[in-house]
Amino acid sequence: MESDEDFMSVGSSNDDFLDTQDSDDDSLEDFGDDFDGGFSKDKDIIATSRKPYEVDFKVLSPGDIEREQNIQVTEVSSILGLPPESSAILLRYGRWNREKLIESYMDHPEQTLDAAGLGNHFETNPVTQKVPGFMCEICCEDGPDLETYAMRCGHRFCVDCYRHYLGQKIREEGEAARIECPGESCHLIVDSKSLELLVTRDLRDRYHALLMRTYVDDKENLRWCPAPNCEYAIDCPVKQRDLRRVVPTVQCFCKHFFCFGCTLNDHQPAPCLLVKMWLQKCEDDSETANWISANTKECPRCHSTIEKNGGCNHMTCRKCKHEFCWMCMGLWSEHGTSWYNCNRYEEKSGSEARTEQARSRASLERYLHYYNRYANHEQSAKLDKDLYLKTEKKMTSLQSQSGLSWIEVQFLETASQALQQCRQTLKWTYAFAYYLARNNLTEIFEDNQKDLEMAVESLSEMFEKPVPELSKLKVDILDKTAYCTKRRVILLSDTAENLKNGEWTFNMEW
Amino acid sequence: MSLCQNRLAEERKQWRRDHPFGFYAKPQRSPQGVLDLKRWECAVPGKANTLWDGGLFKLEVTFPDEYPTKPPKCKFVPPLFHPNVYPSGTVCLSILNEEEAWKPAITIKQILLGIQDLLDDPNPESPAQAEAYNLFKRDKPAYEKKVRQVVKDNPPV
Repeated sequence: MESDEDFMSVGSSNDDFLDTQDSDDDSLEDFGDDFDGGFSKDKDIIATSRKPYEVDFKVLSPGDIEREQNIQVTEVSSILGLPPESSAILLRYGRWNREKLIESYMDHPEQTLDAAGLGNHFETNPVTQKVPGFMCEICCEDGPDLETYAMRCGHRFCVDCYRHYLGQKIREEGEAARIECPGESCHLIVDSKSLELLVTRDLRDRYHALLMRTYVDDKENLRWCPAPNCEYAIDCPVKQRDLRRVVPTVQCFCKHFFCFGCTLNDHQPAPCLLVKMWLQKCEDDSETANWISANTKECPRCHSTIEKNGGCNHMTCRKCKHEFCWMCMGLWSEHGTSWYNCNRYEEKSGSEARTEQARSRASLERYLHYYNRYANHEQSAKLDKDLYLKTEKKMTSLQSQSGLSWIEVQFLETASQALQQCRQTLKWTYAFAYYLARNNLTEIFEDNQKDLEMAVESLSEMFEKPVPELSKLKVDILDKTAYCTKRRVILLSDTAENLKNGEWTFNMEW
Repeated sequence: MSLCQNRLAEERKQWRRDHPFGFYAKPQRSPQGVLDLKRWECAVPGKANTLWDGGLFKLEVTFPDEYPTKPPKCKFVPPLFHPNVYPSGTVCLSILNEEEAWKPAITIKQILLGIQDLLDDPNPESPAQAEAYNLFKRDKPAYEKKVRQVVKDNPPV
C-alpha cells in the first residue's frame, strides 16, 4: 500500500497543490467506497478513488510486466502440470485469458495443445545434433559436421538455416508468439527454450521485448503509455464497454496524461466516442461539404453545384442551360417583367431550396461556434506552453532581481501547469457541448464552463505581466491558480457524475 | 555460393533425378547461353479425371535474392483463366505468400504440385480475376465450358 500512496502523489501533483489549498482530503471519506462503480475489482489496485472523474490505475515498469507475465506462466504451469515454456505458448495462444484456457485444456487437452501449436509430448532440454547422412532441406548442405536442430515435430534443419529463419521472423516481421516450425505446413510453434538455444543475444532481447508487447497488447486491462520512448504500461480496470460512462484519464510515471480508453491525450470531460467523432468531423472534409452547402446552391434541374461570384440573379446553368433566379431558386420565366429584382419571396417553386439552404447554414454556424472556441483553447494552450518555457527564465531572473529563493518562485511553475491543464479541459468542453442536447443540466454545465473560462483567462493575463511585477502578484496568482484548479475539479466532477449516471443526452447516435 | 544459388542448384539436381509425371521445370538460359538459376520455365499438367485433364499450363517462376527466406513468384504465361490467377498471370496461393503459409523448406516440386491442386480446386475466398471468379460463382456450366476451351488451347507439347 505504501508504494500505491507514492504513486498517487506522483500521479496527481496538480491536485496536491489544490489539496493544500482547500483540504480536499475530506472528499476521500465522502466518495470513498461508494464511488467505484465496479471499476476496482482487482485487489492490486487502490480501492479508493479521489474524485468522481478519477479512475484507479497502476503504472507498470518493464520489470513489473515481465514479473506479472512470469507469475501467470508459473501458475498455469503448476495447475496444468506442463513445462513453463509450453504454458507460456498456451497462454499467448489463449490471449492470456487464464480461466478460459484452463477450462479448455481440462476439457480437450489434445485439441487445445494442437491449436496452440504444441504437440502432445514435451522434451525437457532441446539440443542440437550432428546427424550422419543428413541434408538440410533449406540450404541443401550436408556433411558429418553439420549441426542440426529439430523440435518434436521432427522437421530437422541445419542450425544456420534455423537461425536465419528465426532472425527473419523476429527482426524483419516482428513476430514472436507465433513463429512456426520452418517445415512445410507444420504449425508447431517455436517455444522459447528452442529459441534460446538457437539465436544470438541481441535477437533474444528483441524476442523478449516482442513477447512482452504481446502480453500488454493482449490484456484488456493493460495499455502502453503512448508518450515517445516511454517504456511503461498502465494497468486500469476500466473496460471498453464502460467508456460511455467514464473517461478514464491516467498519468504515467513519465508525467504524460492520457486517456486509457483511446490513448489520446487527456480529453476530459468528453467521452472517447465523442472525441473520435469530433476529431473526425474537424479533420475530414465533412466541413468542406458544409461550406459548399452554405456558400453554393444547386442547379434546380441538374443539381450541379454553383457558387455565385458576381453578376445578376439571372442564372443560366452552364451544364444544362436551365434558367433560374438565384434569389428564389424559381424558374426565371416565371419572373415575368421583374427582371433583376426578385421580390417573389413566397413563391412555391423556390421555397424548398431555400429551407435546405437555411438549415445547412445554421448547422455550420453552430459547428463553427464550438469549433472556434475549441481551436482557440488549443492555440492558447500552445502559447501558454511557450510561456511556460519562458517561465523558467523568468523564475531565475526573479530570483536574482527580487531576492526570492528558488522555492519561493515555484508558484509560477504550478500556475503554468494549472493553466495548461485547465485549457486542455476547456478545449474539450466545447467538443462535448457540441454533441450535448439541451436539458436541465446543460445550463449548470455552461455556467461551470463559463466560470472556468473566466478564471483561466484572468490567470493567463496575470501571467503575462512583466517580470518585476510578478513577485508582487504572487498571492494573487496563487489564489487564481487555486481557483482555476478548483473550478476545473468542479466542472469535471459534475460532468463525470452525470455521465456515470447517464444524465446527459446527446444529439447524435453513439 | 550464396544460400539462394546453392539451394537452387540443389533443387535442379533433385528435379532432374526425380520429378512428377507430366511436369517440367528448368532454369532459363540467357541469349548468351548462360544458365539463370533464378528464372525457371515450368509447366503444370491438369490433373487426370478433372476438367483440366489434357492441358499443360506454362509458368515462369522467379526467385528473389532472399530465396528461400522469401517465396518465388509464379506467373502463368500467358495469363490463365482461373479464379485465383491475377490478370497478370501471377498465382495467388497461400504457400506462395510470405505473410501466410510460405516456409523456407517448401521446394519447387511442392509448389508446382500445389498449383496443380489449385487448378481444379479454386479458393473462392481469394479471387484474383473478375472474369473467372464471376463465372465460377454464378454460372458453373459457362465456367466449365470456358475451362475446356482453355485446356484445348494449351495442349501438351
